[in-house]
Amino acid sequence: MIFDFRVFVGQSFDGTMQAAGDLLHRMDNLGIEMALVAPFRPLVYNLDQANASLATVVKIVWDRLIAAARIDPWQPTALDTLRRAADTHGMQALFLHPWEETFRIDLPRIDPLMAFAEERKLPVLVMSGFPWLSEALQVRKLAARWPAVPIVMSNGGQINISGLGQADATLALAACPNLYIDTAGIYRQDFIEETVEAFGAERVLFGSGAPYFDQRYEIKRVQVAKVREEQRELMLGGNAKRLLGL
Amino acid sequence: MIIDSHTHVDMVESWGWMDPPELIISLMDEAGIAQSIVMTYRDATRPDDPATLYVKESVDKYPQRLVGYVRINPNASGAGDALDQAIGDFKMKGLKLHPVSYVGFPYGEATLRLMRHAARYNAPVLFHTGDESLALPEEVVEAAKLVPEAMVILGHMGGYYHFDAVLEYAQFPNVVVDTSAIPYPWMIRKAVDAYGPARVLYASDGPGCLPALEVEKVHLAGLTPEEEQMVFSGNIQRIMDGVKHRISG
Repeated sequence: MIFDFRVFVGQSFDGTMQAAGDLLHRMDNLGIEMALVAPFRPLVYNLDQANASLATVVKIVWDRLIAAARIDPWQPTALDTLRRAADTHGMQALFLHPWEETFRIDLPRIDPLMAFAEERKLPVLVMSGFPWLSEALQVRKLAARWPAVPIVMSNGGQINISGLGQADATLALAACPNLYIDTAGIYRQDFIEETVEAFGAERVLFGSGAPYFDQRYEIKRVQVAKVREEQRELMLGGNAKRLLGL
Repeated sequence: MIIDSHTHVDMVESWGWMDPPELIISLMDEAGIAQSIVMTYRDATRPDDPATLYVKESVDKYPQRLVGYVRINPNASGAGDALDQAIGDFKMKGLKLHPVSYVGFPYGEATLRLMRHAARYNAPVLFHTGDESLALPEEVVEAAKLVPEAMVILGHMGGYYHFDAVLEYAQFPNVVVDTSAIPYPWMIRKAVDAYGPARVLYASDGPGCLPALEVEKVHLAGLTPEEEQMVFSGNIQRIMDGVKHRISG
């Protein structure tokens, strides 16, 4: 089974959009059975509403899409929003975007959200590699405080086209067994392959980041990686199922 | 036919980057690539620099498959002589600059001087561009504006987050882009629309980036067969054919 661990549905403040129908159609064409879907940050900045809208869509296609709750830790009601997302809307992961919501991922104010994630066994997906806010070693600090919570760093934990963040990502993965990466936009195949070799395929999840990244292209990063077939299966879907308790 | 306009050979033990020419040749075979332009990770500082000699030896070993670019630190006192040797004597076809590795502003006088020198050979200047300071498209294009006679290639099209800027810089006729590493197939379509198909070059940045996957990225961009032919080989062939190996004065 192929599981895409990161896609977005709805419309972003930056004009990017993706309808669930279009996403599902493309998933069918690519043989992707399921996906973890997060809301964009909407122009009308209300993440509570964005989570609720997404949940409405996901309820219709519950067998294909699983929703992640997007939370802004600056909001005084952040924990209530997360609780509502999980209890009322059935959302099964926590999604944090330090760049668009502008917060350092290691801030103490994130801890109540992490405590809730631990209690409910929700994996946490962090948009990673952003300078000042979510570099891999900053994500590591959060992961070290919450060793029982699986934290997935987007984009392999680094988005430097010189690869200068890769050493930090490797260091973070080595220090925290609860840290994982998704593969979206990892422009060097050797980064994927060396992570598998060093830490096991269990730590790497196929995630496309669609529609920002091209799902047709992103899946190939995993399909052509020089790894064993059983490792590829874990990356393509096995790990996602395990982290989400499916 | 496919010509890869940006790949690497080098043996840098301290960085753990051990990429002999045989590695890129095997990846070229896997991707159906006829010829690749190779350059080092190290920056040469003088004539007979080990980095330049490594490129020369690689090209000499596979003359039908590999073409050389010289990578130079413009701040070095021997930079100009290193360029003369590489292009004049070793018949290399271009200059690679990575401002992050040698820590120099693209619009600094040392870099501009070397760019002017490359322009006298009609040799392209391939800049690494990306998300970090010293390699921002804005900084590199500042250099392109100051040396309009030099052809400046924006490697990686600015990386993850500079696509709008890169598209804007199509207004400068001496600026060209390569397709390597940037993770968005759609950006190649937009670049062809903005720059015209004659100013977009296929490149992989292999062996780190898998050439076969980088070829697939171009196929996913929705180009016409004519545009693909230009991007995959026609444009870089034209650029290489235009390089002179002797300058007067």
